[in-house]
Amino acid sequence: MQALLHTEQVSIVAPPTRQRGRRWIAAVIAAWLLTGIYLVNTQQQAVVTRFGAVVEPRVLPGIHISLPWPIDRVTRLKVQQLQRLVVGGDAADTVVGRTQPLRSQFITGDQNIINLRAVVQYSVSSPVDYLVRTSNVAQTVAATVETALAQRVATQTVDTILTSGKAAIQDDARAAAQRLLDEYRAGVLLSTVNIESVTPPPEAADAFRDVASARADSSRIVNEAQGYANDVIPRARGGAQQLLEAAQGYRQRKIDEAQGDAARFTQVAAEYSKASEVNGQRLYLETMEIILPKIKKLIVDNKGNLDLTIIRKGER
Amino acid sequence: MIEKYRRYLPAAGGLAALVFCWLTFYTVRETEFVLITQFGRPLYTVADAGFHAKWFFQSSTYFDRRLRVYNPRPSEFLTHDKKNLVIESYVAWRIEDPKRFVETVGDPGAAEMRLHDIVWSGLSAALGTHDLDSLIAPAAETVQAGALLDKLTAMTDRAALDRYGIQVVDVRIKRLNLPEQNKQSVYARMRAERERIARQYRAEGEEQALRIRADADRQKEEILSAAYKDAEKIKGEGDAQATKTYSAAYSKNPRFYKLLRTLESYKKIFDDKTTAILSSDSELLRIMMRGENGAK
Repeated sequence: MQALLHTEQVSIVAPPTRQRGRRWIAAVIAAWLLTGIYLVNTQQQAVVTRFGAVVEPRVLPGIHISLPWPIDRVTRLKVQQLQRLVVGGDAADTVVGRTQPLRSQFITGDQNIINLRAVVQYSVSSPVDYLVRTSNVAQTVAATVETALAQRVATQTVDTILTSGKAAIQDDARAAAQRLLDEYRAGVLLSTVNIESVTPPPEAADAFRDVASARADSSRIVNEAQGYANDVIPRARGGAQQLLEAAQGYRQRKIDEAQGDAARFTQVAAEYSKASEVNGQRLYLETMEIILPKIKKLIVDNKGNLDLTIIRKGER
Repeated sequence: MIEKYRRYLPAAGGLAALVFCWLTFYTVRETEFVLITQFGRPLYTVADAGFHAKWFFQSSTYFDRRLRVYNPRPSEFLTHDKKNLVIESYVAWRIEDPKRFVETVGDPGAAEMRLHDIVWSGLSAALGTHDLDSLIAPAAETVQAGALLDKLTAMTDRAALDRYGIQVVDVRIKRLNLPEQNKQSVYARMRAERERIARQYRAEGEEQALRIRADADRQKEEILSAAYKDAEKIKGEGDAQATKTYSAAYSKNPRFYKLLRTLESYKKIFDDKTTAILSSDSELLRIMMRGENGAK
């Protein structure tokens, strides 16, 4: 009875179960096939590998079809995104205030030691090479940039590096590191190598600062001298003008005085000559009137002897 | 008894097939080599990425074939001119021959130790024949680091490939430095050099300043003397003009001029310190002495 019931149940339930099972299988297969459809975002590029071998080296943004997982695998890369790397002193360490003297020390062509820190920015130029060629891209980039920097620094003087040579070193180092990376086929494009800080070592920093202040002192002294010159020369010009003006005034005065005197003389002389005897007497007497009241006078008789004792008394 | 387990047979068969497939088929990624070994004996290397098959009793070992960068410890070297130099280098290498690699080295860590030895001895030999200024010099032309390293790379590559199945792509100097004990004297030298430069700057500034001041003083003197010259000339013109005017006027009546001018002088010559001894016979006093007759 039980067995009969069992077979009956099977015969009644079996057809729908099998159908449902088929549907399930179809659904699973469909879902599996759907894993072959994939999307690449705007900033991304993708690499498709089939059983590990690259079949699509560069898939551009959009919707694409491949063989379903796990036959094809899609690796997406943010190609244009710049990645940042610090060469030399570690950025985090300077924030905390610690320094890594050995990590950031470079030796210059004139055998000075300087501390240098550079920031590298790079992006992916070839997705396949980027994924496949090197085991640690960041480490490789850091090593090549460091090499390029050390080589440039070793052929420059410390003054060039600290002042005008920074930009040239950056460009040269970027180009040289890029050549090495291309040689390694790292699939990386260096966009910038930026020397963030380049400083003399703390042991000699005060001497370097003194050079800077000497430069400032020097230009200050020169400026002061320039100021002196700017003060003295206009004053001299002013003084010269004053002399000339005074001389012109003098000339005019002399001429005018002479003309005045001459005019006066001419007029007086004209009247004088009309009665020269009388006028002569008058002028003589008028003058005597002015002179004689001021002076001591001794009147002596024409025939008498001169008694000089009187003069002496008078002087006392 | 057998009948009893017959129903498990398909499942067991399926399982066996799965295990067989698992042991037979394998994939190789672009980033790796696969070495097929048979009972521990290396047979051949598969370098092509993709889907592959082998005998189920053979086993596969995976090797990373990507380029690695190895940074040996910084070490001190002696140059030809007996200068100590601390060099930090890197070695870019990859496994080229997995069979040889597994036979001689085995794993990357051990490989890097071997590389360290090769590079170290290569570098010390190379530096022993080069002076310091072939690595560090203010002029790029004298520096031969590139050639030295190319030679070293080639030498290392040859040795490593033959011995360990390793390809050395590049050996580069990452950093040059001086030993700690030498640094103090370098710092002292740098300070002395800076002091010299600072003094030079100050002296040059002083020089220029003195020059500017002297020039300004000279200009001042020139301007003033030129002005003096012109001013005196102008004054002379005035004086000459005046003299001409006077002589023109006075020469018309010289007698009167003489009288007038003499009387004028008297006013200035005689003051209260003057004592005049006047003769009673004089023109002025004659009238006083002799009355009206004196007027004659």
